[in-house]
Amino acid sequence: MRHALKAFPQLLRTGFAEAVAYRAEFLIWMFSTNMPLVMLALWAAVARSGPVGSYTQKGFAAYYLAALLVRLLTGSWVVWEMTMEIRQGTLALRLLRPIHPLLAYSAENLAAVPMRGIVAIPLIVIFLWNVRDQLGGDPILWTILAPALLGSWLLTFLVMSIIGTLGLWFESASSLFEAWLGISAILSGYLIPLDLFPAAVREVALVLPFRFLLSFPVELVLGRVDRWHALALLVAQWGYVAAALLATRLVWRSGLRRYAAYGG
Amino acid sequence: MRTVNVIRAQLRASLSLAVQYRLDFVVEGLLAILWMAVTLVPLLVVFQARQQIVGWTFPEMLLVLGWFVGLKGLLEGAVSPSLMNVIEHVRKGTLDFVLLKPVDAQLLVSLAKIEPWRSIDLFGAAAIFLYAFRQLGRWPSSTDLLLAAAMLGTAVVVMYSIAILVVSIAFFAVRVDNLLYLFQSIFDVARWPSSIFRGTLAIVFTYVLPLALMTTYPALALLGKLTLPTTVGALVGTALFAAFARAIWRVSIARYTSASS
Amino acid sequence: MIEVEHLRKWYRVHRRPPGLAAALRSLFHRPYETVKAVDDISFSIAAGERVGFLGPNGAGKTTTLKVLSGLLHPTEGRVLVAGSTPQDRARSFLQQITLVMGQKQQLLWDLPPSETFLLNRAIYDIPKKEYEATLAELTALLELAPLLGKPTRQLSLGERMKCELAVALLHRPKVLFLDEPTIGLDVSMQATVRGFVREYNQRFGATVLLTSHYMEDVAALCPRVMVIDKGKLIYDGSLHELVRRVRPDKRMIVRLTRPVERRDLESLGAVVEHRDAEAVVQVTQDALQGAVARALSTLPLHDLTVEDPPLEEVMRDLFAQGRAA
Repeated sequence: MRHALKAFPQLLRTGFAEAVAYRAEFLIWMFSTNMPLVMLALWAAVARSGPVGSYTQKGFAAYYLAALLVRLLTGSWVVWEMTMEIRQGTLALRLLRPIHPLLAYSAENLAAVPMRGIVAIPLIVIFLWNVRDQLGGDPILWTILAPALLGSWLLTFLVMSIIGTLGLWFESASSLFEAWLGISAILSGYLIPLDLFPAAVREVALVLPFRFLLSFPVELVLGRVDRWHALALLVAQWGYVAAALLATRLVWRSGLRRYAAYGG
Repeated sequence: MRTVNVIRAQLRASLSLAVQYRLDFVVEGLLAILWMAVTLVPLLVVFQARQQIVGWTFPEMLLVLGWFVGLKGLLEGAVSPSLMNVIEHVRKGTLDFVLLKPVDAQLLVSLAKIEPWRSIDLFGAAAIFLYAFRQLGRWPSSTDLLLAAAMLGTAVVVMYSIAILVVSIAFFAVRVDNLLYLFQSIFDVARWPSSIFRGTLAIVFTYVLPLALMTTYPALALLGKLTLPTTVGALVGTALFAAFARAIWRVSIARYTSASS
Repeated sequence: MIEVEHLRKWYRVHRRPPGLAAALRSLFHRPYETVKAVDDISFSIAAGERVGFLGPNGAGKTTTLKVLSGLLHPTEGRVLVAGSTPQDRARSFLQQITLVMGQKQQLLWDLPPSETFLLNRAIYDIPKKEYEATLAELTALLELAPLLGKPTRQLSLGERMKCELAVALLHRPKVLFLDEPTIGLDVSMQATVRGFVREYNQRFGATVLLTSHYMEDVAALCPRVMVIDKGKLIYDGSLHELVRRVRPDKRMIVRLTRPVERRDLESLGAVVEHRDAEAVVQVTQDALQGAVARALSTLPLHDLTVEDPPLEEVMRDLFAQGRAA
């Protein structure tokens, strides 16, 4: 672990250099993340004739802009990378290095965040400024936002790692990941604010881990939770992170055993 | 005849390839259903709050969604995989093999690879239509059906032409697989009727990137609400667009051939 | 340095029959079979040795290398490399070995090789001084200077392999596993790679285990060869001895001052080639002396040389024998 921490800054530097080399791709990926805007178009049309629930037209704008921001900051793509490397057999080269491959992947993902948002994030912030009366004013919530974003990213990354590792058993675990993506699109608040769901669905969605991937930080930005509740949610989020970390370790270990038995 | 045989052989190869991945085969089928549900949920939530959105009732909007699901299946199941294939050819420099074959290259590459399980989307679209019309309590007239079929034709042609344009760019700047991906994600806009958009966006999605043509017009046709000028405009516009795409494709192929010799 | 005792590596693999109908059937029923990739092999390699690992495709060469480098667990048997059990993948073990695969690369595709060097420096935790010294040395030996700043994708295959070697050796491993390092390279680049591997071996006393399709690689680099076929080690010894054992015959190459009848040559041994004033005659070891004497006395000789049969032929014969047995 000491070695890994020592190597981490260089991993980040290299990851950033790679992201810069792929700047055109990152730009396109960024523009492809447009689902919140598509949803915003619908809700804005709906809210022309008056607010829906507690959301006015401006409220929807703030919600989906914040969702877009969180998605760009906490996204990961390690599943695709792992599946590809398993298929091409280049995972072997990663395994030969004296550093945990997942740690290396995480550095690559983190290092690309500035590149992923280089154009979009300033734009989103400007648009958010236009609807600033919809944002929360409590500095405590804004402080909690930082660890919440980190938690969201970790949770996203770890779930992706687990599914990616399953690729050592199944030829393409990326389909499994698509299923996760579909379910989490709905339950994480990516498509619809969770409080617009019927009560029964909402109750379930609020305790599932999906909420902590996206909705939770968005709620913080909009100031839709009070301080104590926000702290409790942060604890819950990091509980999920810890569980995911444990699961990742288990799956990775047994995945490696299988790899060692069957080869890549 | 030879072309038909070639296409049949290609489809067969795609099918065997798809079947080889056992888990995929089951999972992808389920996935198609899941994504359909994901597409439906927002509408269900929206119509809890409203009876009508910009003049569309729930079943009417379902018609748009039906076209969207079907066309998305076509896009992701047949158009995109084939074009990804071309891009791969260009990158590896193996497109020469395709161009050497005595069949029209555009046809050959555009059906090179399909993902058969995406046909589930077509069944899904059919189910959505049936449900929507039962909700509406009436069925489309035969004229409406005919008109809708014509609009579907234009939708497919437009989609295909856009894809061909994207691939043509691949001959000049090699890494455009992402561009195709971008188009796929922009296509998501077509799940709503075009009247949702106002101002610049409305113009863009009607004329520049004719998404309105793909899902809104066919839905209007089924409802018997498509006006004659719009129909004629759509048909003429589509023909022009397709001709344009074909011309660009030819120029690109010519450039590719001369560049690599 | 490397100890292998009764190593076995068996796989259960799914047979995937061709054709649509068969593929559909295999959705429900998957036939399995056991493949004995490596079947009871033992050997030991001393520190500083250069050993060539020969065998046809699918003989088990790569599997053995992967077991030795800790990527695969042995089904049975004991393996010790640089004092460690490879499958534990201990940091101290990984620091001491390297695996270069001619078909796979660790260089970052869209960045200059120097970036991958920096990355590996951090990962292997190489002290700055040592890193700079090694890099300077590798740069000089492989003439990397003009390559380091270009994105990897713009390098030719040979240039890329040189950088691959450098990046794999940056941490000065004690054991080198080279899997087809010269595949696809042109003749002069093959020679460069060979020369470099030998140089590295001599300078650092590193142990080298190499597989290659090119016999030239093995002949030029490896005093000792191991031959594996169908998972079994069928030969372990010097290359010279291998050639003598498989093909005890010699080739007498005669160049003549004027053409002679084929009949005159046939009295010496089996004629392999006969063109105007040049001929190749195959002679058994025992008959060699007599044949040379007879050629000297009966033929209008310009020149006469005696050679071993070409290595490629030796290998072909060796595996053909293996199959027949």
